[in-house]
Amino acid sequence: MSAETAQAGITRRRTVAYLGLSVLGACIGLLFLLPLWWAFVNSLRPGGDTFRYLNPLQWETFFTATPTLDNYATLLHSDLGLATLNSIIVSGITVVVGLAICSMAAFALAAIPFRGSGAVFIVVVVSFLIPFDAIAIPLANLFRDWNLQNTYAGLILPGLGNGMAIFLLRTFFLAIPKDLVEAGRLDGLGWWGIFRRIYLPLSVPSLIGAGLTLFLFQWQSYVWPLLNGTDAQHILGPIALSNMQGQFNVDYGVMFAGSMVLTLIPLAIIIAFQRYFIQSVSTTGLK
Amino acid sequence: MSPSQTTDRRAAAEGRAAFARPARRRRQAPLVAVAAAFLAPAFISLLVLRIAPAAVALWESLYRQSFLRGGTVFVGVENYADLFGNADFNNALLVTLLFSLVVNPLQIGAAFLLAVLYTRKAAGAKIWRSLVVLPIAVPPAVSAVVWSVIYRPDGLGNSFLSLLGLPAQPFLTSPQQSLASIMVLLSWIGVGYWMLFLIAGINDVPTELYEAASIDGASAWRKLWSVTLPLVRRPLAFVLVADTVSNFLIFAPVQILTKGGPSGSSNLLMYDIYTRAYTLGDLSKAQAEVIILVLLTLVIVAVQFRLLRSSDTA
Amino acid sequence: MKRKLLAATSLLAAGTLFLAGCSASSPNSGTAIGSEGSGTGTVNLLGPEDPATLAPVIAAFKAKNPDITVKYSQVPFDQLNPTLEQRLGAKDDTIDVYTVDQPRLSQLAAQGFLEDLSSLKGQTKAAVPDAQYSVNLYQDKLWALPVWNSTQLLFFNKKALNAAGVKYPSIDPAQRLTWEQVVKDGKAAQAAGTQYGLLLEQVESYYQLQPLAESAGGGSGITGDKMLTTDINNPGWEKAMQWYADTFSSGLSPRGVGGFQTSPIFTSGKVAYFVGGPWDIGNFAKSNIDWGVAPMPYFAGGSQATPTGSWSWGINPASKNKAAAKKFLEFASLDPAGNLSTTDATTIIPANAAATAQYLPKLEALGGDKTKGLAGLIAHENTETAKPRPVSVGYIQFEELMGKAFADIRNGSPVSERLKQAAQQINDAWKQL
Repeated sequence: MSAETAQAGITRRRTVAYLGLSVLGACIGLLFLLPLWWAFVNSLRPGGDTFRYLNPLQWETFFTATPTLDNYATLLHSDLGLATLNSIIVSGITVVVGLAICSMAAFALAAIPFRGSGAVFIVVVVSFLIPFDAIAIPLANLFRDWNLQNTYAGLILPGLGNGMAIFLLRTFFLAIPKDLVEAGRLDGLGWWGIFRRIYLPLSVPSLIGAGLTLFLFQWQSYVWPLLNGTDAQHILGPIALSNMQGQFNVDYGVMFAGSMVLTLIPLAIIIAFQRYFIQSVSTTGLK
Repeated sequence: MSPSQTTDRRAAAEGRAAFARPARRRRQAPLVAVAAAFLAPAFISLLVLRIAPAAVALWESLYRQSFLRGGTVFVGVENYADLFGNADFNNALLVTLLFSLVVNPLQIGAAFLLAVLYTRKAAGAKIWRSLVVLPIAVPPAVSAVVWSVIYRPDGLGNSFLSLLGLPAQPFLTSPQQSLASIMVLLSWIGVGYWMLFLIAGINDVPTELYEAASIDGASAWRKLWSVTLPLVRRPLAFVLVADTVSNFLIFAPVQILTKGGPSGSSNLLMYDIYTRAYTLGDLSKAQAEVIILVLLTLVIVAVQFRLLRSSDTA
Repeated sequence: MKRKLLAATSLLAAGTLFLAGCSASSPNSGTAIGSEGSGTGTVNLLGPEDPATLAPVIAAFKAKNPDITVKYSQVPFDQLNPTLEQRLGAKDDTIDVYTVDQPRLSQLAAQGFLEDLSSLKGQTKAAVPDAQYSVNLYQDKLWALPVWNSTQLLFFNKKALNAAGVKYPSIDPAQRLTWEQVVKDGKAAQAAGTQYGLLLEQVESYYQLQPLAESAGGGSGITGDKMLTTDINNPGWEKAMQWYADTFSSGLSPRGVGGFQTSPIFTSGKVAYFVGGPWDIGNFAKSNIDWGVAPMPYFAGGSQATPTGSWSWGINPASKNKAAAKKFLEFASLDPAGNLSTTDATTIIPANAAATAQYLPKLEALGGDKTKGLAGLIAHENTETAKPRPVSVGYIQFEELMGKAFADIRNGSPVSERLKQAAQQINDAWKQL
C-alpha cells in the first residue's frame, strides 16, 4: 500500500466523517428546535386554531399557509413592550455588576491563597443550594423594612451575588497556571492588575457562561417581583406574559407570540457570543 | 497577553522556589485583606440575600403558626417529626432521590456527547448548537405549555409514535411515565446549557493532543475517553454539581404539567415545598422542608466533591 | 474539613442571630395600622384582571367622584394568593382594595387581612342574591362585597348530535338532562364519528365537580359546626366520583388535557357536550361550529345543583385611605350602574341583582339565536339551584388536596381508596389550623 493511497483513504474517511457529523448535528439541532418551532408557527395563527392540527401529523402541524401577524399586533396593546424594556434594564445591570463582583470573588477564591478560603467557598456553595423561591417570602419582608419594595434596586439586588456564577468562574480560574500570577507579580502587577490583565482576558468563555447564568436568573424572574410589590411601571417580561392569560381563557396565539418576543433577546445574545467560545486558553498561546 | 509576561514566566518559576516561602509569610496579613476586598461585595450579598433568609427559614421551621389560636408557638423539631411521619412527604423524598439519580447522569452524559459532537469540524455546527442551547431561553411557563401539547393523549408525541408505527403512550397520565416525561422535558431545556460549559472546556484542550493521539492510532472512542474526558474534568465537575443542584430546585414544569401526580409519582420536593408555602400557607412546615432539601443537597454535593477529589489523586 | 464545617456553622449561627433581631423588630415597624383618610385622593386596586376589563368601572367612578382616582395593578392569577398573603401580611399600605376569591374569604378574614364591612350588611343583603350575600359572611360579619357571579352551562355541538340522531337538549330548566342521558348521547355521538362525548371545562377543579357530588346527595364535602370535618367518603361522593372516573376510563372524555386547553377542543368540533361558564359564550360565538346551550345536568333521582360564586372585593385593613376605598367598593358592588360597568369589557355575570337583570339580555344577545332563553336559565340557576362552595377557614387546603384527588381519579386511581386518602391528607393539613 503506497503512502498516497493511504493518504487518500484518510481524506476520504475524513470527508465521510465530516458529512456524517454535519448531518447528525443538524438532525439533533432541528429536533431541539421542533417544539419551539411549533409554538412559533402557532404564534402566526389565530388562537382558536392552536390545537387543531395535532393528530394525525400533517404539514399544517408545523407550517401555515396563511400566516397572520394579528397576535403580534395584539401585543402592542399590552404591557409587554415596557416589560421587555424593564427586563433588559434589570438583566443588563445584573449581568454587568454581577459579573464584576462574582468574578472578583471567584478570583479571590482561585488565585489568592488566604486562610479561610475553604470556609468562604462552602458558604458560596451553600448559597446556591438554597432555593430562591423558597426564601423569597422572608426576603421580601426584609426588603420591605429596607424600603426597597417596588424599586429597580429591589429587583436587581437579589440577582447580583450568584453562588453558581462564582463557582463556575472559580472552576475555570483554577485552570489558569499559577506561574502566570508569579510572572505578573514580577512584572510589577498588583492583585488587581493580575485579575484585570491576566485572569479576565483568559476567561472569556467562562465569563460568558457566568453572564448567561446571571442573565437568565433575572430574565425569568417571576415570583420575586410580585412579592416585592412591583407595579405596572416596573413590570417584568414573565409577569406581562402571564398577565395575558385570562382567568377563564387563554389565547395561546397571543401567548406564543409574547414568548417569541421574550425568547428572541436571549437567542440574539447566545448567537452573538458564540464566536467567543472559540477563543480560549489554548488559542491564546498558552498550555 | 503581552510577550513580556510570557518571557518572564520562566524567571518567575525559577524565582518562586527561592523566595516564595518567606514572601508568603510576610504577606500573610495583607493576603487576607486583599482577598476580603475582592470577596466583600459578592460575599455580603450572598450572606444578606441568601444565607440570612435561609437562616430565618431555619428559625421559623422551629415554630408553628396558628391564626385561629393566634400567634406562633415554639415547637422545636415537631415540624420535622411531622414531615417524616407523613407518607406524602416520604414519597416526595423518594421521588426526588430517584429523579436525581436518573436525570443527572442522563443530562450530563448527553451534554458531554453533544459538546463533543459540536466541537468537531462539521457544517453549520455553530448554528445547530445554538438551536440546542435555545430552549433555556424560552420562558418556563411556555415550555410547559408546549410540552403539555406534546404529551397530550392526542398530542404531538403520540402522533410521532404512530408515524413510527409505535403504540400510543399515556405519558403524564400514567404514574409509571410521568416522572420520565418530566425528565425528558427538563433535558430538552437544560442539556444545551450545560453543553455550553463543556464546549468551553473542550476548546481548552490543545489540538496537538488529539493529533498526537491520532498518530498513535487511537480510535475515536479511545480519544474521547483518554484525552477529552480527563482534560475537561474541571468543567465537568462544575456541571455535575451545578446540574445536580438545579435539578433539586425544579418545580415549574411539575406545577404546570402534573401537580405532582398521578398518585404522587412526580411530586418533587421543591414542588411540595412550593405548594405547602404558597398554596396551603403552611409556612413553618414548608421552611422545615426547605431545610431538609438544603441539607440533602448539601450531603450529595459533599459526596460529589469527595469523589471528584479522590479521582483527582487517582 | 471539620474546621471548615465549624466555620460555616458559626457563620450560619451569626446569620441566624442577625435575622432573629430583624424578624423580632419587624412587627413593631408597622405600628399605625391604616386610617380612614380624607375620602379623596388615590385608591389602589389590586387584582388578576386585565386592566382593560376594569377600565370602565374605574372611569365611571371617576366621573361621579372627580376627587378620587382609582389606580389598578394586575397580578397574574396563579400568583395572586401568594402575593396577597405576603403583602397583606407585611401590612403593605399600597393596596387599598383587592379582589377576594370568595371561598378564601374566611381565611383572609381570620388572618385579619380584611376590613369589617358589617355596617353595609342590610344594603348588601338587599342588593344581591342570597348565595352571594352568605359567601361574604364569616362569623356573622360581612368582610367583602360581591362583584361578580358565575354559573355553569351545558354546551352542545349540533353537528355531533345531528350525526348521531340525538335530539338537542332544551334550555328549559324543567327539562334538564340527566348525566346518565348525557353519557348515553355522548357515546352515540362518538359512535357517529365525534372524537369525544363529554368534557368538563375545569376537569380537576372543585368548583365544577362539587355539583356532581351535591346532585348525588354527597353534600359539599365539609361538615361540622366549625366546618373543619371532611365528609367525602359517603355514598353520594363515591357515586359521583365513580361516574366521573368512568367517563374517562370509557374514553368518553379525554385524559391528559387540562387547564385552559379544554374549550379549544369544543370550538374545534371534537366534543359533543361541554360543561363551561358564561365566559365561554363570547369565544364560542366567534368560532366556526354550530352549538347550543342547555342547563347543567344532574343525576337521575338526585337534586339539581349548579356552581356559583366568583369574586368579591374587600378593603385592606392597613389602607391609609379607607373612606375613599369604601366609596369605590360600594359603587362597584351595590350601585347597579357601577356593578354593571364591571362587566362592560368582559363576559361575566354581575353580582348585583338589578345589574344582573340588565346584563342577562345582553349576554343572551351575544350568542344570537344559539343562546335564546339563556337569560331566563341563568336567572333560574342563580336563585334556585346555585350551591355555594363551603365557607370554611380550611377551604384552601381542602380545594388544593381535592384537586389532586380529582386528577388521580381521572387518571384511573380507585375511587373509594383515593377519597379516603384525600380525607386523611386534608385532616392532616387542617391540623395546623
